[in-house]
Amino acid sequence: MAKSPILSGIDKLFFLVLFFILAFGVLSIYSVTGGIAGRSGTPFYLKQITWIIVGCLAFLVMAWIDYREMARFAFPIYGITLLLLALVPLVGRTGMGARRWLAIGSFSFQPSELVKIGLLLALAKHFSDDYPRSGLDLKRLMLSGLFLLVPFVFILKQPDLGTALSISTIYLSMIFVLGLKSKFLIYFSLISAMLSPFVGHFVWNNLKDYQKKRLFTFMNPAEDPTGTGYQIIQSKIAIGSGGLFGKGLFGGTQSQLKFLPERHTDFIFSVLAEQWGFIGVLFLFILFFLVILWGIDVAVKAKDTLGSLMAIGIIGLIFFYFFINVGMTLGVMPVVGVPLPLVSYGGSAMVTTLGMLGLLLNIKVRRLIR
Amino acid sequence: MAQQHTTDHFKPASLFGVFFLMIGGFALILVRLVFIQGIEHERWVKRADRAQEKNVTIEAERGTIYDRKGKILAMNLDRPSIYAIPSEVQNPVSVSKQLALILGLPQNQLLKQLRKKSAFVWIKRKITHEEMAKIEAKQLKGIRYVNESKRTYPRGPLMGQLIGFAGLDNQGLEGVELHHDATLRGTEGAIILERDAYGKSVFPKDLQYIEPTPGKDLHLTLDERIQYISERELDLMVKKTGAKGGTAIVMDPWTGEILSMAIRPEFDPNTVRTSNPSQWRNGAISDFYEPGSTFKIVTASAAIEERLVTSDELIDCEDGAYRVKGTTIHDHDPFGVISFRQVIAHSSNIGTIKVAEVLGEDRLASYIQAFGFGAKLGIDLSGESSGLVRETRHWSGRSLASISIGQEIGVTPLQMVTATSVLANGGYLMTPQIIREIRGNHGEDHKAAHIQRRVLSEKTTKTMTDILKEVVSTEGTAHRAIVPGYNVAGKTGTAQKIDPETGRYSRNKYVSSFVGFVPAEDPVVTILVMVDEPQGIAWGGEIAAPVFSNIAKEVLYYLKVPPTQTSPFPNAPKPVGHQKLKALKIANHNRTLVRDAYYEIGPSR
Repeated sequence: MAKSPILSGIDKLFFLVLFFILAFGVLSIYSVTGGIAGRSGTPFYLKQITWIIVGCLAFLVMAWIDYREMARFAFPIYGITLLLLALVPLVGRTGMGARRWLAIGSFSFQPSELVKIGLLLALAKHFSDDYPRSGLDLKRLMLSGLFLLVPFVFILKQPDLGTALSISTIYLSMIFVLGLKSKFLIYFSLISAMLSPFVGHFVWNNLKDYQKKRLFTFMNPAEDPTGTGYQIIQSKIAIGSGGLFGKGLFGGTQSQLKFLPERHTDFIFSVLAEQWGFIGVLFLFILFFLVILWGIDVAVKAKDTLGSLMAIGIIGLIFFYFFINVGMTLGVMPVVGVPLPLVSYGGSAMVTTLGMLGLLLNIKVRRLIR
Repeated sequence: MAQQHTTDHFKPASLFGVFFLMIGGFALILVRLVFIQGIEHERWVKRADRAQEKNVTIEAERGTIYDRKGKILAMNLDRPSIYAIPSEVQNPVSVSKQLALILGLPQNQLLKQLRKKSAFVWIKRKITHEEMAKIEAKQLKGIRYVNESKRTYPRGPLMGQLIGFAGLDNQGLEGVELHHDATLRGTEGAIILERDAYGKSVFPKDLQYIEPTPGKDLHLTLDERIQYISERELDLMVKKTGAKGGTAIVMDPWTGEILSMAIRPEFDPNTVRTSNPSQWRNGAISDFYEPGSTFKIVTASAAIEERLVTSDELIDCEDGAYRVKGTTIHDHDPFGVISFRQVIAHSSNIGTIKVAEVLGEDRLASYIQAFGFGAKLGIDLSGESSGLVRETRHWSGRSLASISIGQEIGVTPLQMVTATSVLANGGYLMTPQIIREIRGNHGEDHKAAHIQRRVLSEKTTKTMTDILKEVVSTEGTAHRAIVPGYNVAGKTGTAQKIDPETGRYSRNKYVSSFVGFVPAEDPVVTILVMVDEPQGIAWGGEIAAPVFSNIAKEVLYYLKVPPTQTSPFPNAPKPVGHQKLKALKIANHNRTLVRDAYYEIGPSR
């Protein structure tokens, strides 16, 4: 047998980049949690390493099985993930004020993470099966929007605003490349997509406190609005005091002294910025930029519309996470509880992200294969 | 073609559109990052430091108080203070029970302390070493101690009111401790701890320690020995006569330095808690009384200075009854026509009033003021009173007569002794002093004697001294003030107290006093003795004069003052005015008694 088709297309730089990002994350988690153990008694950083290993398995599986084979079962997979999601409000485990987890024995996971893959496959399959050559008309837009709407509502009800918004990016990024039929729709979506963060932030800042509170409580009752303000301030103190070169690996006083909330999860970027400074952050940005660039490259070079759409969805999702998370720690985005992909502590997100990166590799290596 | 590149369906532009949107996102975040980490960096560093720092103040060691000979009057002892780290205490219930037993504190209160969600709680401060030993033996986890200094007054009640006391947190609350608190206290130091978000102290890599600056030492003008003599003698008389209290002040007339200030009832600053706050009061400077006949010194001095009367001028004392504005004034014994010298020697009210009538209200008032009455003298102690001197426009027709013999006027013992020193030092009103020197790590600060004003000419003081010598003679009212071997100049006083209930002079409440200086020709000390409400006989000559005599006798011996009646330098000329002032300056410079300075200058002219 000839060289394995998967191995032949491996991009060495990609793996190097991936390794650095993961190492960055584990190191940061270790620096703020040290030997502190989570619920199960294992230190956080060790658990994270375990999750990375599991994630690598997911990566291999998603890279190995031909994505076109996967796409054949796109709708059943989508259906199953929806079913799991529907189970959450019935038998799910509650944690931190939200019901997001399904438990099987001692193992628990978030079905909302699996839905991302289900939705990705389903939407890509849907659009590539009946390719809208001249762009989407309103009818197609609404129809395909139903794929998103069902899981969106479920997740919003958990409540998990961050994940609900993030799965929308899969849909929106696909819509974006497919184009819209009506010029009005094109401009509308384009402008709204570009301006939404700014407008949203502007509106947010100009709301009265009690209005914010109401709005926030409506969208995400689990969050404490006053606590949110504290988080952002502490985060900005951490990042700002980091300066150009940072305070060193264990020198991050804000994070070491526990001022920073959610240090190892949603606010890991603040820890990183405090410890490594602007130089370190710039390095991280370059790593992520390379991942994005690589993803775009995959989308451009993909053999078929199916692969290309999948790649776009994945890249859109990862970028969204990165952008919202970093923006949140810098105080330019509302705090919506989104992890920094591949860096923040958390099992489900790690496995899903690595799995989707496997899928990207899958699409890339099969571009020259029948 | 079988192999179909469906990506053709995409307009590549739309893919690049996605790409550029993302680049825009990156750029936005980067700009924001540069802003926070670059431009605003300093601001956030400050915020971080502020959030993370916690100061624990370190007490500075309070300055020691010495007497003029270097004997310690107030010092610090190490006392353990115990505190708890609540999070380390394993069994608060049992620990609180054990501590309650040793320290005699309520157990439920201790338990509450131990259960506090705080990094640090005081259990009890400045406990005894025995209590500490018991607690240490229990080896309780989370219970620790730190040595703090507890103020101790080794001389006990000796000059208790004068020194006052300092509180638990090293702050002066009364007396010298209060008035010179800023000097004694020093500057607090601090350990700047980094703290985490929960306020728990953590020990940072570079612990910042700001060393406390110890307080400065105070050297008082007091002489512990003279103080002891004064208190002992005053105490004896107060007990013997069943008096309410009393004061004795010994002053160096040349410098205004207070050598002793005895106050009864006594107060021990070591037992502040068990004493009555009224005992803390330094009556010698805060309370005023009617001086009675001792005040005739002022009237007589004024008349002589104004050349209205000479010591040998004859005055008709009207056989003991004289009407002034409808009131009859009596003398204790009826006198006929006697010399002014005898008027004072026998303390004739009528004779004094007649002189005062010549002097007139305005002149008397101006001398009263010049002698330092009716205003604070500026001693460096808190709580000094101005006394009670009314302006002439508020005087009644009788006032001139009353005030000239020491009624209708309130003076403090300190004012009386300072005024008498004017006669002793050749006519100068000195600012009374209690602080001789302040010594810190960076040098010493001498307190120089301070002349407030010249009140009398030297000639007048000589004449007055001669007259006052007569008072303390076998013929005078104060023969019991005689100090063997020395000539004494002084004046007795017996003032009826005003009964607060009736507002009239009481028949059985008196203030008995004597004020004088010795040796008369060459004074070393001015001494005032005031006994408040002695039972039975109240005459100043009977009650206060002997106390003066006893104090003077021993003080002169202690100060090695040669007896003047059999001078060891029979041929030595007596120092005169300019030499006395020269001696005063030398004494200020060398911080010695003026007397000693005389001998340093020598008898040369």
